[in-house]
Amino acid sequence: MNNPQSASMYESEKKIYPREIGGRFDKLSKLATVVLLGLFYAVPWFNWDERQAVLFDLPARKFHLIGLTLWPQDFPYLAMLLIILALSLFFFTALAGRLWCGFACPQTVWTEVFIWMEQWTEGTRSQRMKLDKAPWSWNKLRRKGSKQFLWITFSMWTGFTFVGYFTPVRELGAELLTLSVGGWTLFWGLFYGFATYGNAGYMREQVCKYMCPYARFQSAMFDKDTLIISYDEERGEPRGGRKRSVDHKEAGLGDCIDCQLCVQVCPTGIDIREGLQYECIACAACIDACDSIMDKMDYPRGLVRYTTEHALQNEGTRVLRPRMFIYATILLILIAGLTTSMATRTPIILDVIRDRNALYRELPGDIIENSYTLKVINQNDVARTFALSVTGVEGISLDGVSDTITVDGGGVLSLPVRARAHRANAYGIMTIQFTVKAIDSEDVTVVEDSRFLGPTP
Amino acid sequence: MISEEYRGAKQWSRDKQAVFTVVWISFLSAAIGTMVFFALFDPVDLSGIFDAELDIGRDAGYAAGFFFFWILCALCSSVTAYLVRTAPKRDAKHRDQ
Repeated sequence: MNNPQSASMYESEKKIYPREIGGRFDKLSKLATVVLLGLFYAVPWFNWDERQAVLFDLPARKFHLIGLTLWPQDFPYLAMLLIILALSLFFFTALAGRLWCGFACPQTVWTEVFIWMEQWTEGTRSQRMKLDKAPWSWNKLRRKGSKQFLWITFSMWTGFTFVGYFTPVRELGAELLTLSVGGWTLFWGLFYGFATYGNAGYMREQVCKYMCPYARFQSAMFDKDTLIISYDEERGEPRGGRKRSVDHKEAGLGDCIDCQLCVQVCPTGIDIREGLQYECIACAACIDACDSIMDKMDYPRGLVRYTTEHALQNEGTRVLRPRMFIYATILLILIAGLTTSMATRTPIILDVIRDRNALYRELPGDIIENSYTLKVINQNDVARTFALSVTGVEGISLDGVSDTITVDGGGVLSLPVRARAHRANAYGIMTIQFTVKAIDSEDVTVVEDSRFLGPTP
Repeated sequence: MISEEYRGAKQWSRDKQAVFTVVWISFLSAAIGTMVFFALFDPVDLSGIFDAELDIGRDAGYAAGFFFFWILCALCSSVTAYLVRTAPKRDAKHRDQ
């Protein structure tokens, strides 16, 4: 078969010019944008105990989350958190449709801000369309130039902030001012900044339509009781223009005046009146648009509204249904599991590495000695003193090390130790236990097994 | 369906869809792969394996790992996409079976 669409890859879709509209949902979406992006840009600047409150310190291989320090060994927590987030997405999708897409997805949120900047510099929807069609002029250059300036500055700031989650942001700021930012830091900052610029400035709804896996499979979580944005066909049809004074019911018309406003405000360029479509990101702009017209016409609001398939068919909507209980139960179990395991987490890690060079050493006086290297990681942020002991062989003791060790906050102590036992008790392969116990708290104890080798009896 | 206003607008070509989807999905997969891999292994410990002289820092190690995963995943997805798209079409009379 010939490829029917051998059109160039670089041809883009017809540009969509979403029209600005005020209203309830617009306020909600602006609030979501300000809160979410506000958090994104502000969080790296908060400090906690004289260090950055949230810092994913990859070079040091530890994550700081407010008072908590996580190590590579804590990876299961991260995996669990990601599973919980995915399940929450399922739960909210089943309950309220594409809330995520419309209000919380970074793609939507950043696109929203980029459209604001477009409106400030290029004006309203019709002004923007006119400007794009117009030949190049001083005015066009000035408007497009200032838009690019805002977009690029904002993108660079975004890239800088992103890197600020992985490198201390204050130091990074100082480096930026003296133009001495390190190679990889600079690379990732530009990478993220450029991705923001391209995705929010140009790709926009095309990301949702062609590239987003969630947009394709979210319908699997939908049922007839899921909240969707829908046009009330029964009430709206037959659509048509009319004067405000006309009694449209007598004239045989529905409530839709076919003003096209719902189409013009749509960021993905669809007509909601054609039914539920996978392009719809549920941003609710069409609800605001239609409500504003209904108000002008003195018709009741809600010709386009949040509803469910069951409600549209005049059947009751069931919010509490088995699907919701199943998602909620699994979610609660996982959240409880994660919270408990994090709350009971012991903030020390002990690794015992047996010296591989010698099986054992015989010392004068019938003493058998084995050598080990202990690695003690203090996952707390403050220095701690621990008592060190060994058990498992009668009369076993440690040599060359004091009874207590102090490890810096977040520090790793590598400690060579020698364990000694009398020959009468030490033969063959024996299992011994190293115990590290915090002096200040009985609960903070970790025990690690190792082997103690002696001569064959 | 695209509204009246935008009708006649060009949709992304199949090639463009394939390229962008492959790049994006392999990016996401590589991000997960990198996260898991480097939670288990420290790039500083690994750099000695290939060449004792090789001493790349963690930053460069993470970046190299990420791009390795990205290229690997992109290769895998693009071959899959290519095979699916170029598979022999089933006869029309068998298509519904």
